[in-house]
Amino acid sequence: MSDLTSEQVGALAAALGLPVTPDDLIEVTHRLNALIEALAPLAELPLETVEPVPGLGDPPAS
Amino acid sequence: MSDAGADLAFLGARRLAALVRERKVSPVELTQLYLARIDRHDTRLRSYITVLPDAALETARRAEAAVMRGAALGPLHGVPYAVKDQFDTAGVRTTSGSRLMAEHVPAEDATTIARLTAAGGILLGKLNLTEFALGGTQQFPFGQPRNPWNLEHDPGGSSSGSGIAVAAALCGASLGEDTGGSVRSPASFCGVVGLRPTWSRVSRHGSFPLSWSMDTPGPLGRTVEDAAWLLQVIAGYDPKDSLSSREPVGDYTRTLTGGVRGIRVGIVRELTFAPETDVEVRDAVVEAARTLERLGAVTEEISLRLVPLAGAIFMALADSDGAGVHYRWLRTRAAEYDQGTRRRLLTASLIPAAIQQRAARARALVRAEMREALARHDLFLCPSAHQAAPPIAASRGVITSRHEVAGRFFTRRSYVTPAALAGLPAIAVPCGFTRAGLPIGLQLIGRLFDEATVLRAAYAYERESGWWTRRPPGMD
Repeated sequence: MSDLTSEQVGALAAALGLPVTPDDLIEVTHRLNALIEALAPLAELPLETVEPVPGLGDPPAS
Repeated sequence: MSDAGADLAFLGARRLAALVRERKVSPVELTQLYLARIDRHDTRLRSYITVLPDAALETARRAEAAVMRGAALGPLHGVPYAVKDQFDTAGVRTTSGSRLMAEHVPAEDATTIARLTAAGGILLGKLNLTEFALGGTQQFPFGQPRNPWNLEHDPGGSSSGSGIAVAAALCGASLGEDTGGSVRSPASFCGVVGLRPTWSRVSRHGSFPLSWSMDTPGPLGRTVEDAAWLLQVIAGYDPKDSLSSREPVGDYTRTLTGGVRGIRVGIVRELTFAPETDVEVRDAVVEAARTLERLGAVTEEISLRLVPLAGAIFMALADSDGAGVHYRWLRTRAAEYDQGTRRRLLTASLIPAAIQQRAARARALVRAEMREALARHDLFLCPSAHQAAPPIAASRGVITSRHEVAGRFFTRRSYVTPAALAGLPAIAVPCGFTRAGLPIGLQLIGRLFDEATVLRAAYAYERESGWWTRRPPGMD
């Protein structure tokens, strides 16, 4: 996934009704791109068959 | 302050409770002692947001009267404690460390507070935290919390005040909340003990939320025994928290001294020997493993290949939950948030759903990997942080590149978030000091609802190593 630009992030925030100042926008763009990059390795994992549940209702350890 | 007074203040909750019970010290005397220490030290440390001298002394006088008339006494009777200002306290301002809640006064106690009160504890006050327990606060609305071991260094967060106040003996013990390390990080940086119980073991009712599937109240104390003692009081099913567990609560204090002979400990390679792990931290943790071996534990190096991804997975999930919690205020009162909090929540509000979903699935894999390994081991051992407390200045300032984000947010979280993602109990216990005199934290992670083994191993290590006896300079 290519980096998001500040313009794209700003447009997305505006569409969601989030008041982002110009200074906020620069840092939020860096943060969002960093998170997307950090999570990119997850694409290599066999996730299709994994249920995305947080583990509620697990039995206690024996 | 006399040396005797400081010695008493540093004793810790469990031993103080015993002295009160034996009528060797009075609850009023103890409360006055801690209030005097707060007056003396907290203008620099800023561990407290609100101190409650009148209410604490009134409670102490009632506690003293109960002792004198031979009434039945709770396990914390007469012990002054303090709580992170994330927990509701009836009639007492509860800010969550934010200007947005600066005037918020709850009508009801959080379940944890009600249980600590019922056990005879004396609430001294409400402790500082990073805003809304998120981490990354740039300007603390109620003062910059500082590490007692070096005032220019970070005390850890988000339960910053909970770590500081215990380390500097400004209370007998404290309560924090750990979503992704918020009890263990300040415990590690401040050189005290911090326990994250199994998720759902302790009620979340009356605690300001961040992430519903990870928020976990937990105790901080000078010793493992103190942490066990507080857990005993706060653990257990609560009808006010629909997700709290009905699993029976063990007797954590009775099993504490069982030793570690035959306990199988997996040393997590990806965290202990990661290039990001500071050499002094690595050496101290390896030495701690050797100590456990000498005590009879069986240790071996293991690989948990997914845990280096835990920090980013955690932020995708917990921060998304947080963005949901703050949905309305982010749109109506954005300017009132601290800059760091606001930018983190804005970012979380924009995470693409496909990526958030992928992170949720990856969390399930992390959990499965850890629980499968725990079928062969009783505990995991690793550092509770990749470094000792960094300078406060290192986490300040505008982020100017995405590469800075990884260093500031993802790396350090990968040490504490695996247990959070998997819902497992974990403890931070002091395991040494850097050459610069800053504490180093050992982390032990256990099986679901097996806090007893976590506490037993931590206790055995603590008694053998003796690091807990050290005090921060200038805090007598």
